[in-house]
Amino acid sequence: MNPQKVRNRYDAVIVGAGAAGLSTALGLYRALENKKSKSDLSPKVLVVSKLQPLRSHTGSAEGGIAASLGNQEKDDWHWHYYDTVKGSDWLADQDAVRILAEQAPGIVIELEHDGVAFSRTEDGHIAQRKFGGHTADYGGHPVRRAAYAADRIGHQILHALWQQCLRRGVEFAEEWYVTDLVLDPPTDEEPGCHARGLIVLDTHAGKLQAIQADNIVLCTGGAGRLFHTTSNSWDLTGDGMALALQAGLQLEDVEFIQFHPTGLGHTGILLSEASRAEGGVLRNCEGRAFMQDYAPGHGDLAARDVVSRSIVAEIDAGRGVADPSDPDGPHDCVWLDMTGIDAQRMTTLLPQVTETIHRYAHLDPTVDMVPVKPTAHYTMGGIPITDRGHVYRWQDGSRRIVDGLYAAGECSCVSVHGANRLGGNSLLDACLFGTRTGQAIAAIMANADKPNDMTDAPTLAQALRRRQTFMDKLLAVESDAEPSESTLTNNQNEESDPNGGASPNNPYALMGRLGRLMEEAVAVRCDQSSIEKGLRGLDQLDADAKQLRAHSGTAVLNQEVTAIMEVDNLLTLARAVLNASLKRKESRGALYRSDYPQRDDEHYLAHTMIDAREVVSWQPVHIVDMPPKGRNY
Amino acid sequence: MTSQSTGSDGSKASASDCDPRPVTFRIARFTPRPQSERPARTSPFAKSNPFAAAGTRRARGRRWTQEYTIRIAPQRTVLDALLQIKREVDPTLNFRYSCGHGMCGSDAVLINGRPDLLCTATIADCLSASETMPNAYASFGVANGSPQVQQPPAFRRTGSATTATATSSSALHSDSGIGSRATGPKATNPSEASDHTETTNHTGTTHFTETSDPDKSSVIEISPLPGFTPLRDLIVDTDTMFEQIRRFKPYLLHDDSSAESRQNHHESDQPETQDSVQNPLTKAISQAAKAKVVDAEPASEYRQTPEELARYELLSTCIACGLCQGACPIYAGGEAFAGPAAMIAAARFINDSRDSHRQERLEAIDQVDGIQACQSIRACTRPCPRGIDVGEEMWKLVEAVKEQSDSYAHRSA
Repeated sequence: MNPQKVRNRYDAVIVGAGAAGLSTALGLYRALENKKSKSDLSPKVLVVSKLQPLRSHTGSAEGGIAASLGNQEKDDWHWHYYDTVKGSDWLADQDAVRILAEQAPGIVIELEHDGVAFSRTEDGHIAQRKFGGHTADYGGHPVRRAAYAADRIGHQILHALWQQCLRRGVEFAEEWYVTDLVLDPPTDEEPGCHARGLIVLDTHAGKLQAIQADNIVLCTGGAGRLFHTTSNSWDLTGDGMALALQAGLQLEDVEFIQFHPTGLGHTGILLSEASRAEGGVLRNCEGRAFMQDYAPGHGDLAARDVVSRSIVAEIDAGRGVADPSDPDGPHDCVWLDMTGIDAQRMTTLLPQVTETIHRYAHLDPTVDMVPVKPTAHYTMGGIPITDRGHVYRWQDGSRRIVDGLYAAGECSCVSVHGANRLGGNSLLDACLFGTRTGQAIAAIMANADKPNDMTDAPTLAQALRRRQTFMDKLLAVESDAEPSESTLTNNQNEESDPNGGASPNNPYALMGRLGRLMEEAVAVRCDQSSIEKGLRGLDQLDADAKQLRAHSGTAVLNQEVTAIMEVDNLLTLARAVLNASLKRKESRGALYRSDYPQRDDEHYLAHTMIDAREVVSWQPVHIVDMPPKGRNY
Repeated sequence: MTSQSTGSDGSKASASDCDPRPVTFRIARFTPRPQSERPARTSPFAKSNPFAAAGTRRARGRRWTQEYTIRIAPQRTVLDALLQIKREVDPTLNFRYSCGHGMCGSDAVLINGRPDLLCTATIADCLSASETMPNAYASFGVANGSPQVQQPPAFRRTGSATTATATSSSALHSDSGIGSRATGPKATNPSEASDHTETTNHTGTTHFTETSDPDKSSVIEISPLPGFTPLRDLIVDTDTMFEQIRRFKPYLLHDDSSAESRQNHHESDQPETQDSVQNPLTKAISQAAKAKVVDAEPASEYRQTPEELARYELLSTCIACGLCQGACPIYAGGEAFAGPAAMIAAARFINDSRDSHRQERLEAIDQVDGIQACQSIRACTRPCPRGIDVGEEMWKLVEAVKEQSDSYAHRSA
């Protein structure tokens, strides 16, 4: 639903309408309601999102949201705190993790009050299940900490948050795409940098608009589309992170990308960890249950990064299998053998997994082996924020706040996940730090005596003109025609050839090439030469991207125009990921460098801060309660 | 005999389903004309044609049917195919998609006359279903022909299509067999800005029985979801659906009795104004707002037993994709009806034991364009990707409304 008219000025604009964006909006509205008696504010708040909110990828989260409610057995938030720090391979900032673990129960109960249809215990409490890495007594036995709603917790949370936003009359501009983040002064000279506004494309009208905003929150989600095989939706193109880079800001720890071990064959669709918890076994082409060789004692239920690396090691050693749907294709999968699970049990406990395998692999997991491969799942790094959601720059050894700019959720990095995220902590991060960000903005709005009246915003107007010129160039098709025959390529191959110069130059083909390049360069493991090869390949893609033009001159709902800008964003981000990976000469959590296989706390117990000019600086990790030690599962 | 069955000799998804083969996609396309660029001169009949005035929701622009023949394995999804077309053949084709595995609800369209999600429909399903399904749907009248025509009601329409569609698509049918090829739209005869629709006898188009030769391509027809205004190609306007969902206050309203002693804080100026006067829910909301303690740290969850959860759990899995709306002859036919998706959203809260306003909610849906508009045709059930028996749930709502008004009449008597 769209407002009749989107204004030129708002008190706050939230970009993105997944769990983080909607939580921010609710946090803001609720905090203002509480303050209403004091000052009679009627805030002008807009949520801009490139998707209708219910289409957000939050809705695909399956397993649960972690909180030490202790509904089914004794639990303690200190244990959650420890598990998260350990899971992060000691790269998380412990002050932030402490907030995460301590406030998790309150957030989950608030979500329940918002309407989330949690699964229940017999006595009517929120049901909880075990999840990888969540333990009792600081690394003891597994504990039931993940509050769940069958296997669709993300869907439930997304819908409940959206519903509560409707109740409060939150204004949405849906299928609007943010093209530019405007800071003033635009370059990173001195402290005092201030967010001024956004340039936004109304995709329905095909028109650009400048929106001035005192407070801007980026909640745009992850960037799984950097890779060919990903569990992420087609829309996760790292827009918010790229906007930050393009505005001269830094990203933190972007080299840490979690690969979930069991993506389904060529699709990358997630098969929940529960498939292995219930008895599924990974096997190589010889039928050997290889995980026992890599993680004795833990086997198939070792940590996600460990299992993903083991699968890739088998494939690299020539013991992979081909996806049966593409029998002549590369042997880049291994088998997930679920045939040992009782059929009845499988239907009851793994309905979503079973349905996905049936529908997308056309296999019957009770009798067939299922092809799986690691799938890009989550970006641990992102836009650096404080625990109140303020975006900052790391400069001369201190955090310099960018006034009026905030971020939350997967696109941000408060650093609660460090080098590897625990299952159940992503929804928690998005909802908790989203809410806190909304509250922080409400506090600032309540204390502002006068509206920040920037009657003249030359930088914004300038950015709008620049983007308009860019758009005009994209849409300058000879005659308003659909593509002429010459621009269309006959291609007999089912997949476009990744290396062939003959592949058509359009953003969709280019995104495919980028995905393969990134997969070879840094997926699951990397070394200096693979990264440098990736960087050289990026140069070619950058050159090709500059040639991209829309093949239709009609601006209205022209998806290709948006896709061209998404590709630009992915390319910007890919370069940052590769350079950050190159600079970190150690292996930690999800980053495995085969040329530096050990963790190196002496040099790299620090966050990578990288900007678009590829300047890297290092921010020390906040160690509060737990000095680093080994990470064994 | 379809080519689907050729060579697969009865066993389960076999090698033949993995082999790419030519499939033709016949896609209803539409490019709107921007307002500002609309020339002053239009059809000489435009002013006098009553249909032109009536079709206010129908955007002007160019409509045509385009065929693409690509090689793809039958076990792939239709979304895979359209993405391949975008990548390799025609990047101007527009359609919504996001998660790609049936959870986001963004890619509802009409495939071979049947409402379906692009990402859950496989090529094999569509080719085998094209034998039988169009007839089944044709009896409801939703399917065949041009869904861009919103009015008159679908069930009064028999296999209509635009002139351009009928002639150009058959004339340009590509049987190249190998390689992919787009038929250029310039060769078609786009019905520029025509707000009138000529009906031609085109009922046979959804049957493709000629494909016994596996090398010959089979045809899959895709058009926008009925009941929704097309905006460009397969993208439709979903705002109307969400407005109707919103109308019945789809959010949990829990009166916390323990909080009554607390001071009221006004939440009353929230924008609930539009249909406030006659809507009993509005009063309920302000009551709930008074009761709700916003600033208190939530102490514990509202209790709900697994049995209470089971009463609405499936309803809560609705992804608002709109397939049920597109399948409903009442809704898609243009009658005044809030639509099955809005009713399901209402039912989700009516059946949630945590919600304190069941009665007001039942009153709210008991309107001529609410549950009263449902004629129990139950076409809404089949396409639901979440397995909700929409038709049955609608019937339960009818009964609950009746029960409530009966007991109310009984009490006041």
